[in-house]
Amino acid sequence: MDHPAIRIRNLVKDFRVGLRGWKLRAVDDVTLDIADNEVFGLLGPNGCGKSTTMKVVLGLLEPTAGSCEIYGVTSRSVKSRLNVGFLPEAPYFYRYLTGRELLKFYAKICSVDPAKMKERIRDVLEMVGLAEAADRRVGTYSKGMLQRIGIAQAIVHDPQLIILDEPTAGVDPIGSNAIAELIRELKAQGKTIMLCSHLLAQVEGVCDRVGIMNKGKLVLAGSVDELLKKRDLQSLTVKDFPESAQAEIKTVLEKHGASLVDAGSPRISLDELFLEHTATEEEEGK
Amino acid sequence: MNGTAHRILTVGRNTFLEAVRQKFFNALVILSVALIASSRFFQQFDFGSGELKFIADFGLGAILLFGSILAVVATAQLFYSEIENRTALTILAKPLHRWEFMAGKFLGVFLLLLVFVALMAAILGGMLYWRENDLMSRYGDQFDGERLISYGGLFGFAVLQWLKLGVLCAVTLFISSFSNTNLYSVVVSFFVMIICQLQYIARDSWENIGNPALKTLVAGLSLLFPNFQMFNVGDVMLFPDQTGELAVATPWAIGGYGIIYIVAFIALAVFAFRNREI
Repeated sequence: MDHPAIRIRNLVKDFRVGLRGWKLRAVDDVTLDIADNEVFGLLGPNGCGKSTTMKVVLGLLEPTAGSCEIYGVTSRSVKSRLNVGFLPEAPYFYRYLTGRELLKFYAKICSVDPAKMKERIRDVLEMVGLAEAADRRVGTYSKGMLQRIGIAQAIVHDPQLIILDEPTAGVDPIGSNAIAELIRELKAQGKTIMLCSHLLAQVEGVCDRVGIMNKGKLVLAGSVDELLKKRDLQSLTVKDFPESAQAEIKTVLEKHGASLVDAGSPRISLDELFLEHTATEEEEGK
Repeated sequence: MNGTAHRILTVGRNTFLEAVRQKFFNALVILSVALIASSRFFQQFDFGSGELKFIADFGLGAILLFGSILAVVATAQLFYSEIENRTALTILAKPLHRWEFMAGKFLGVFLLLLVFVALMAAILGGMLYWRENDLMSRYGDQFDGERLISYGGLFGFAVLQWLKLGVLCAVTLFISSFSNTNLYSVVVSFFVMIICQLQYIARDSWENIGNPALKTLVAGLSLLFPNFQMFNVGDVMLFPDQTGELAVATPWAIGGYGIIYIVAFIALAVFAFRNREI
């Protein structure tokens, strides 16, 4: 594609608050490009302007200054949303519709070809793991299922860009892991994903690049590997490492002007431990 | 069908479904049906047209009262649920214009009002037909072999009531498009409804104002609010032999008057909602 998936230039968004109309700057001169087929994580504390930035990108809010484009089309135009799917934070859907009916509603809004709609809905339900619950009313869905049907409505029209606001908020580690897998699958299909999340470990696992916002400003942006690498340190992972070998290696390193900073067993994350044990219990149950 | 019409119909259908699956609508329908059906037992025993007139007035009053409540509450509630539950975010993040969303919301409630008015008018018509047959068999000499009630007139009047409730729905949609709470929308809409109902009193007054500038200003202001008294032609349409027939063009003119206000208030609602931050 000729244009980046998202191009934000000098974006400013002010809100008027209170009776006197005090100006509150939610987004302050943000400039950012997100390339096609990239998973980009927008991080930052609550109230730093992440969701506002997303809403301006989606055309749900008018920018005070600056511009946003989606694949070269200004966000002010409805046409920019032809190729976009969006999952808002803590989504709520029509409780009286079944999962399948809900997707049909959104597919119709997006003018999905009626001849292919049924098949597309079935595929999307399978992709998000809700095929069995497709004919249950959305009002009976758990939090994790709501997030997954939310992602399903975002991708039902097969958009190229998917914007996810806190996709794993309130979801247990198993559900979070499933959503992370789904994001990887979408990336493998060639989609571009922009997501906001507070679960930094998960963002690290799925994102190619991240941007950090604070007080409305984009304070840092770059590839995850580049940003997280400790440039003056290297690590070796060794199996069955005896203490005698450790002393020898220390001597060799000193001979080359390097030093051994730390030696110990690498830890797995709590998420990994949880998933490992819950998976085992499920298998035992079977 | 083109894309715009398709999207408006999709939002409208969903709004309609959401409304009919709510307890509020069902309770209102049951209450209205019970009220119309009970009119048979409240009537004072006056032979012939007196009883029929009582049933008609009672039924039409029930349609107006509960229809107005439905038009205001359902519109405000169905609009606000989209904002408060943030379903509007997922819909407006799709390739859908805001005016299409608003038109769809109106269409959904307008269809709901059609179902309500049609159901009530059918029950009222059935009640009147049953009583009229009974009275004709017992007091045939008072009827001269002819029916007193024009059932075509009842149908036409029901259509006009539907349009009148549609105007109220459009007014509520306009108020909801800029207000911040559901309660505010409901209260203000009911106030506007009262102004529209009583506007004829103000019209009588301003016609007597001597100052031409003031008279023009007040006349201009009165145009802002539709005159709901225009729609009160039930007696003439249902009992044409007793009250004198309405000119053929009059119901059409009243219908056109209602449609103009519906379009105007939807346009205002779209304008107010255009830049609303959700």
